[in-house]
Amino acid sequence: MSAHESEWTLRRLHAGELPAPDAARARSHAAGCAPCAEALKRFAQVQSQFEAHLPFEHFEAGIEQALERQRAEDRARAKARSRWVAPVVSLAASVLLVVLARPLMHTGAPSNRLKGGAVAELRIGGGEAPQRVVDANLREALRPGERVRLGYTADTHRYVAALSIDATGEVTALYPDAGESLPVEAGDGMHWLPGSLEFTGTGAERVVVLLSDAPLDMDALRDAARRAYAVSGRDLDLMPALDVPGEQTQWTLLKP
Amino acid sequence: MTGTSQPILRVIEGGASQDRRAFLRELYSKYGGSVQERCRYLLKDAIKAEDAMQDVFARALSHSESFRAEASPLTWLMKIATHQCLNQLRSEGAAWRRWFERDAAARPEGHGGPEAMETRVLVRRLLARVDAETQAAAIHYHVDGMTLEEVAALLGRSVPTVRKRLEHFATLGGEELRVR
Repeated sequence: MSAHESEWTLRRLHAGELPAPDAARARSHAAGCAPCAEALKRFAQVQSQFEAHLPFEHFEAGIEQALERQRAEDRARAKARSRWVAPVVSLAASVLLVVLARPLMHTGAPSNRLKGGAVAELRIGGGEAPQRVVDANLREALRPGERVRLGYTADTHRYVAALSIDATGEVTALYPDAGESLPVEAGDGMHWLPGSLEFTGTGAERVVVLLSDAPLDMDALRDAARRAYAVSGRDLDLMPALDVPGEQTQWTLLKP
Repeated sequence: MTGTSQPILRVIEGGASQDRRAFLRELYSKYGGSVQERCRYLLKDAIKAEDAMQDVFARALSHSESFRAEASPLTWLMKIATHQCLNQLRSEGAAWRRWFERDAAARPEGHGGPEAMETRVLVRRLLARVDAETQAAAIHYHVDGMTLEEVAALLGRSVPTVRKRLEHFATLGGEELRVR
């Protein structure tokens, strides 16, 4: 495999987005390498078949329809929300913890995974849109009425904590709200932190889940979050990992 | 008095939409095939794949400023497409075991001959058995052919963490999925 350009490099070459020296190297290699030349040829075929089956005008119309669909969904959600959502108290830190007798979100995905590495997961649900898992380090827009649940697979870690930071730098301890981080639940598989979170206010909110081998003081975590926020230049998207031991995952949510 | 008349300044309305159309055309001609192929690979349904592809490009359009600033728009699009399709399968409550047994309606992705094709099929069959992050890591590593470093950068994880996820994934599928 190492003798060839990776498929990814060839894909980027085909898309014309490799830097010039890399493109020259990859092109030169592919010129004398049958499998890589074949891969490039196949990418070209995939694109030409795509264009043959879907003319640009149809593609453009489909995208406009998708945009309209998304707008209509947003409007419907806003309307539905105005009918049933009680006034939400906006807390100073822009986060409301809603503890429900019945979870808003099921854990739909099969749970027959084997014991593996630590994992943190952020799920959005509770609105009219399907539940979705949010990709770390990618902004995700919350729709009106949607709530968030946080899950983790601890692997060998023994403690879990979660906090959030809003666009003004206000830090809120989520789990727990004071003291030290929580002992993880026993057993393999995904465990969900209790209750659901509804973020109020507007703008971005950075959510952090931390798994550690020793308990972490929540005040110290708040301070670490403030430092990371300052280092980022007050830009949540650029916020580095908190300078604390353990593994952590961060997500950026855009509040409706 | 004779002389040349001054040209009339004519303002062409819709500059933004022309730009938008050019942007869409660029997306279409550079990335359309790759994104559609990814959606078909995961959803195995031509109609659903087209809808998913439209959603992905609609998202690129509505985030065009940040999208244009990406060093690798292809990486951004394939990440979004993968995430979109996996989320869709999850939200449909897809019976994953039945799902992977359905006949493939789409062209399989491949580079590297029959062995690579087999790996891609195997990856798809095992996705239901791992968490969301491992799913994404496995697809970008085994199907896209990204390096560990590229997958780690894409997922915002360290290389050792990604390696650990992939090694766990490999325990489900054997030698073909070995992490190199």
